[in-house]
Amino acid sequence: MEQPKIGVFLSDCGKQLSEILDFDALTSFVKTVPNVALIARGSEFWRGKGLQSILDSVKSGKINRVVVAESLTKISDINIVQAVEDAGLNPYLVEVIDIKDHCAWPHRATPAEATEKAKAMLLAAIERAKLLEPIEKLEFPALKSALIIGGGIAGMQTAVDLADLGFEVNLIEKTPFLGGLAARAGRFFPTDDCAICIQSPSSDVKTITHTSRKCVYRSGFSEIPNLNILTNARVVAVEGVPGNYKVTIEKKPRYVDADKCVACDKCVAVCPVETPDEYNANLNNRKAIYINVPTVHPQVYVIDEYACKFHDCAKCVEVCPTNAIDLDQKPEQVTLNVGSIVVATGFREFDSSAIKEYHYDDYPDVITNLELARMIDGFGPTGGAIVRPSDGKPAKKIVFIQCVGSRDRRYNPYCSGICCMISLKHASLIKSAVPNADVSICYIDIRTTGREHEYYYERAREMGIKFVKGRPTEILKDTETGKLIVDVEDALLKRFLDLEADLVVLAPAMIPAEGTKELAEILGIDLDTDGFFKEYNAKLRPTETKQRGIYLCGGTTFPKDAPTASLHAHSAAMKATKFLISGKIVKDQRTAVVNEDYCGDCEFCPVTCPYGAISLEPTTENHFVARVNDLLCEGCGVCVGTCPLNAIELRHSRPNQMRAQVNALMSVNGASKPLVLAICCQECGHTAVDSSGMAKLQYPANVRVMKVPCAGIVRVEQILEAFKAGAQGVMVVGCKSDGCHYEVGSQNAEKKMDLAKVLLKEYGIEPKRLEMFKMVFIEGNQFAEAAQMMTARVTKLGPLKLMENS
Amino acid sequence: MTQKTEKTTVSFSDEVTSRHGGETLTSCYQCGTCASSCPVAKLDSSFNPREIIKLSLLGEKEEVLSGDAIWLCCSCFNCQERCPQNVEIADLIYALRNIALEAGHSPNIYSDFASALIAEGRIVQISKFVEKKRADYGLPPLKPVGVDALNKILSATGFSKPEKTEAPK
Repeated sequence: MEQPKIGVFLSDCGKQLSEILDFDALTSFVKTVPNVALIARGSEFWRGKGLQSILDSVKSGKINRVVVAESLTKISDINIVQAVEDAGLNPYLVEVIDIKDHCAWPHRATPAEATEKAKAMLLAAIERAKLLEPIEKLEFPALKSALIIGGGIAGMQTAVDLADLGFEVNLIEKTPFLGGLAARAGRFFPTDDCAICIQSPSSDVKTITHTSRKCVYRSGFSEIPNLNILTNARVVAVEGVPGNYKVTIEKKPRYVDADKCVACDKCVAVCPVETPDEYNANLNNRKAIYINVPTVHPQVYVIDEYACKFHDCAKCVEVCPTNAIDLDQKPEQVTLNVGSIVVATGFREFDSSAIKEYHYDDYPDVITNLELARMIDGFGPTGGAIVRPSDGKPAKKIVFIQCVGSRDRRYNPYCSGICCMISLKHASLIKSAVPNADVSICYIDIRTTGREHEYYYERAREMGIKFVKGRPTEILKDTETGKLIVDVEDALLKRFLDLEADLVVLAPAMIPAEGTKELAEILGIDLDTDGFFKEYNAKLRPTETKQRGIYLCGGTTFPKDAPTASLHAHSAAMKATKFLISGKIVKDQRTAVVNEDYCGDCEFCPVTCPYGAISLEPTTENHFVARVNDLLCEGCGVCVGTCPLNAIELRHSRPNQMRAQVNALMSVNGASKPLVLAICCQECGHTAVDSSGMAKLQYPANVRVMKVPCAGIVRVEQILEAFKAGAQGVMVVGCKSDGCHYEVGSQNAEKKMDLAKVLLKEYGIEPKRLEMFKMVFIEGNQFAEAAQMMTARVTKLGPLKLMENS
Repeated sequence: MTQKTEKTTVSFSDEVTSRHGGETLTSCYQCGTCASSCPVAKLDSSFNPREIIKLSLLGEKEEVLSGDAIWLCCSCFNCQERCPQNVEIADLIYALRNIALEAGHSPNIYSDFASALIAEGRIVQISKFVEKKRADYGLPPLKPVGVDALNKILSATGFSKPEKTEAPK
């Protein structure tokens, strides 16, 4: 490689900094450093003339590395690096430091010490720049196709969005019909729109008048040519990487040929088998060959293989006018190649029978909200009549019980969020249909936080629905009348009420869909503590996962009402589009690289990598080495911190680069207090240093900061090296454990620092000289306090004893 | 009402949660499952576990400790079984009783029990009538209790005769 010719550009930020720092001293100091080919001083270098002067020097070939001392690193960094890249120099040969927020401002009270620290910072940047390596851009092909898992309201909308944009979309649904939970809900709050209409496909997309802008199911989505809908299907395996997934789908047999079936109902008429209709909460029976509701998609019958007698009966086969029925269909496996996957598997009701005192199992007149929704639905088993399932007689006294298995530490500690509105909706619909019905809702807290939701609650009170503040202890049955009695204390009256009821409606917790855990394992993505799919970041990346090509939407991350699920669905479609649109993934090779001569047979890094980017692969001599997948690697360095043999490094943060920086930071002293090295992660720790400087908080100039990609990269050995280089104390500053930008880095660092303390003791170094801190960007005050505290601590401890021996 | 707010202190809930049995106090969200589960509360309105918890959370120490209520719990554990927040309500009542006892509040019957235990080794004296009945039913006569041994144990555990407080109104 060409000898480093380093250009050093010193900005005084419009003379702000030269009032504190001695720029002449800085310039003469930098001149003495080997390999520095150019020193320039100016007002600013991140834009305008200043930036132009950097570019001119690069283009003329005078310099091949750039060090800029600026302010506002986060912006100047981006500007300078991009411009330099356009000028033809690899952007990874540029080092930008912030001598304002990291030096001049926090140390303005001690200008002489600040100047010495600025020298150390410049030297560290120059030494690092010398060792920097160009990093190439990688390009990976990506398929312009997507798989949406789950045909409920969220999955369907994402599918339509992506299909309309021209991607090849596969929508799979595990049940025989689309619609999901939303379609069974009857109506949606707070508008009381129909939910069932969303299941009817338009037969004519070409006629604008026959399509609906409001409703996804009537938008003609089923006729979109690049949307492939697979029902009765589930994912069994996923291989590959973002942009190129190979997905194996298992399709259960429908026993009816979709291309031939004309939905004439003749098969249903002759079918002799009756079986409980689970779609209608088992409130009625259906035939073994069936269709859910008349408006369903697809308009094709399906045979219930657990109920059908197949060839022992075969009456349906005889009557079918189009020979659509094939009793010998077998399950088939379909392989799909897709660039991206969207998970929209939703949620379901908790099994209320777990709470024995509510007798959901043994009292037929104790039902759930979903069962009630089927009853209220005109297409449902009772044609909209509210009856007692035990005898089919009208139910006049109805008691709702909220929070069944939710907000309950024994089952689901969270609030499902939508059940209050569901019960209010059902209570109001019953009251509208049967004004003299006696409807009570037993609640712990009514939560109606959405837009217009409070009006819904208001309306319910106006309608005369009774509210009882209390969670019932038990549902009893009067042995003589057979009536149910809900035993509850109204806490506001401090009175015990025995509420008589024809029908008790439970509002169960909403829990993750069946098979969520298995799917998470197949996809290699995480679940949260409640068992829902975990998004990459709830605030900024609510539909993304730690796998770049895999997205989440709808109730799969938490129970959602229809409007929120829709919002989430469109958002996921946008993110997937961003990922798919170029047909390729362009990525800098800021990744880990393995030295295969040292690496061997241990499994530390593949297990530790939060992104599954490292695999063990056999080499010729029957031994395994780690290989890094550049596409999956996020360049955090958690693997580096884990490797016991130093066999893995980051291309953009090599150990020799870090060592050179530490040595440089410690080689210029001039501080009145003992030197402290602060190793800060680039995500939170280093930005906290920024914000403490921006706020002009003061801490002593003996604290020298080094930026690393993630606290997880730090090795115990590096801590020892820092002490050897002259540090009297070492701070490691990372993200909060649950906010680590690389999942486990901060936690790993903390464990490692505990280990390092044990080792330090062995070496005769006081463990208190090392400390781990966790903070976020806005906690600059905490950085300043920590820096002061560590300085005071090491000052009190006195000079490091082992200095002379080492 | 204003007066009540003034004497409210939060430190009482800390005192309760630091006690064995009282740790789960702050989990309570006042759903009232305990109250409707309670066989005592349905008979005697002066005892309501939900209310005792609420008063403890609000720091109404005197009201909780000096009243009758906490002594009425029959320890059936129905509330504890059904509490959705895993508040150990029956254990919590024991913790409150311990605090009350230390503060010099206990119904006279409890100090009578304690005195009897120390003096006779039994909380209830066995009458001649009972002894005769036992003989009639063919039961063996009761063995004497080791009062001295019992007192050794009681003094080792710090159990002493509680002060008699004024009879609760």
